[in-house]
Amino acid sequence: MNKFKNILPPILSIILAFAVGAIILLLSNFNPIESYKSLFNGAFGSAYGFSETLVKMIPILTIALGTSVAFKAQLWNIGGNGQYTLGCISTLIVCVYLPAPMWLKLVIALLLSILVGMIFGGLLGLAKAKLNANEVITTLMFDYIIALFLSFLVYGPLMDPDGHNFPQSKLIEKEVLFDKLMVGTRLHSGLFLALFLVILLFFFWKTKEGFRIKMIGANPNVAKLSGISVNLQIMLTMGISCAFAAIAGYIDVLGIHGRLQDNIAGTLGSVAIVVALLGNLNPIGIIFSAFFFSALTVGGQCMQRFMGVPYSLVTIIQALVIVFVVASKIIVEKRSKK
Amino acid sequence: MSSSFIISLLVGTLRTSIPIILAALGQVYVHKSGTLDLSVEGTMIFSCLMSFIAAALTKSLTFALIIGGVSGLCYSFIMAHLTVNLKSNQVISGTALTMLATGLSSYLYRVVFGIRSLPPIIENFKPINFGFLTKIPFIGPILFNHNFTFYFMLLLVIITWFIMDKTSYGLKIKAVGEFPRAADSKGIEVNKIRFQSILIGGLYSGFAGASMSLGYMNTYTDQMIAGRGFIAIAVVVFARWLPIRVLFAALLFGFANTLQMRLQSIGVAVPIQLLQALPYILTVVVLLGVSKYVKFPSYFTQAYSRDKK
Repeated sequence: MNKFKNILPPILSIILAFAVGAIILLLSNFNPIESYKSLFNGAFGSAYGFSETLVKMIPILTIALGTSVAFKAQLWNIGGNGQYTLGCISTLIVCVYLPAPMWLKLVIALLLSILVGMIFGGLLGLAKAKLNANEVITTLMFDYIIALFLSFLVYGPLMDPDGHNFPQSKLIEKEVLFDKLMVGTRLHSGLFLALFLVILLFFFWKTKEGFRIKMIGANPNVAKLSGISVNLQIMLTMGISCAFAAIAGYIDVLGIHGRLQDNIAGTLGSVAIVVALLGNLNPIGIIFSAFFFSALTVGGQCMQRFMGVPYSLVTIIQALVIVFVVASKIIVEKRSKK
Repeated sequence: MSSSFIISLLVGTLRTSIPIILAALGQVYVHKSGTLDLSVEGTMIFSCLMSFIAAALTKSLTFALIIGGVSGLCYSFIMAHLTVNLKSNQVISGTALTMLATGLSSYLYRVVFGIRSLPPIIENFKPINFGFLTKIPFIGPILFNHNFTFYFMLLLVIITWFIMDKTSYGLKIKAVGEFPRAADSKGIEVNKIRFQSILIGGLYSGFAGASMSLGYMNTYTDQMIAGRGFIAIAVVVFARWLPIRVLFAALLFGFANTLQMRLQSIGVAVPIQLLQALPYILTVVVLLGVSKYVKFPSYFTQAYSRDKK
C-alpha cells in the first residue's frame, strides 16, 4: 500500500502533463493522438529508436543520480550541464593529449573527471557553507561560464587543426572509445558503467556517510548536535553530486561524441532535475524516470521531424511534470529554520 | 581613451542595466516578503515573447509594454499559488516554472511566427529627444538620449522606494518576511501579502522581459534573456534589498556587459568567449563576496502556516 502511495503521484503527474500537452497541441492545430503516436513510435517503434532511448538515458541517468544526492541534502545543485561539460573536457584532454597506453588513458580520464567534479563541487559547497552563497545561482552561473569556456576551447586551443575550422576538437582514437553493444546502433558499453553507478548509489545510502548526507538534509540542527560537521558534509555532498555529472560527461565523450563540440551538454542538466525529482530521489526510481524521459527526448525529436510539432513541447511536458509533482507535495519541505 | 569611447561605454552601461534593474526591483518585494522566486528568468522569457507578439500584431509599443507586464503578472500566479497556497518547495517550483516558460515561449514563437529564414522584427522604442537637454555635452548623450524604457525604469525605482519605505504596505511586506507570526497576530494576512508580493514581482519581471524585446532589441530569440533573471536575483541581494541601491548594483553588471561588447568591437586580444563570461563571473564573485554579510529576511524561503510551530 505504501509503495503504491509513492508511485501514484508521479504517474498522475505524467498523465496530467500529457493531457495539458494535448490541449496545447489542439490549440495550435496539431492532432494530439497522431503526435503522441509519432512520439511513441520514435522512442519504441524500431530497434534503432529503442537503442537511441537507451543511449540518451545513460547521461540523463548519471547526472540525475548526482542531482539526487545534492537534493537529498536539500542542496539545490541545478548546474548539471556545466559539471557534465567539465567531465567532457577532462576526458578529451587526457584521451587525446596524454601519451599513455589505452587502458591507462581510460582510467586516468575517469579519475580526472571524478576529481574535477569533486573539487568543483567541493568549492561550491565551501562557498555555500562558509560564505552563504546561494548554490542555485552559483551552479547556474557556472553553467554559462563553463559553456563559454568550452566554446573558447573548441574555437581556440583545442580546435582540430584538420577540422576545416569547425568548432570541434580532435577525435579520440577509435581503440580508446567504448565498444558498441549492437551493430548499427550507437548503444555502447558505457551503459554498464551507468547501471553500476545506480547500484553504487543504492548501497551508498545504506552507509554511514549516506546517512549523514540525508541527515543534514532532514535536519541540520540535529545533525550538528550529533557531532556531524555540517560544513564538511555540504562540501562532500556537492562534490559527490558534481562528480556524477562529470562521470556522465566522461561516458558520453567516450561513448557517443568522441570529441568536444560547442554546446555539448544541450539540455541534459534540466532534464536530470526532472528525472531526479520524479524518481523521488531514489536510485531505482531514477532508472525508471530516466528511461521515461529519455524516451520522451528521442520521441520528441521524431515528432518534430514527422509531425512538425516543435520539440519544445517536450520541455513543456517535462516542466509540467515537476509542477504537478511539487503541487502534489511529494517533495516534503523538511528543512527547519536555522 | 577617447571621450566618445567613455560616453558610449556609459550609455551602454545604462542601456544594458534596464532589464536587470526592472527585474531586481520586483524581487525587492518578493524577497522581503520571504520568498525566493527563481521563476524570474522564466517570467522574463515569457513576457518578452508576449510583448513582442503584441508589438508585432498591434504596432503599439505602449500596449505591448502593458501586455508584457500583465503576462508577467499572470505567469507569476502559478508561482504564488504553488509556494504560498500549496507551500511547495520554492527552489523546485521556481526552477520548474523557468523551464516551463522556456518551453512554452519557444513553442509559441514557432506556432505564431512559423519557421522563417529571416526572423520577424518590430519597430522598437526610439531614443527620446529632450531638445537642449540632449545637447548638453557629456551629460546630454548619457542621460537624455535613452528610449522610453529607461525613464520608465527610473520611475519604478522611485515608486518602489516609496512603497517599500514610506507606506504601511511596504512595512507589512517586511513584517511577513521578518516575523510572520507577529505579523499574523497583528492582523496582517501573511499569505495574502506574500501572494501579492510575488504578483508584483511578476509584474516587474514582465516589464523587464518586455524591455528586452521592445527597447534593447527589436526581435525575439529563445536565448535572449540569457540568465538576466538570475543575475537580477544576485543584484537584489548585493543591493541589500534597497531600491536605490538596486539601481547602482545593476549598473555594475551593465558595465561588465557593455565593457565586454565594446572590447570585442575594438578587437582586444582576449578571446570573445572569456569576455562574454564576464557578467556571469561577476555575479559569482559578488555572491561570494556579500552573501555572508547581508542580512536575509529571517523567514526567507520559509512557508508560513498558522498551525506549524
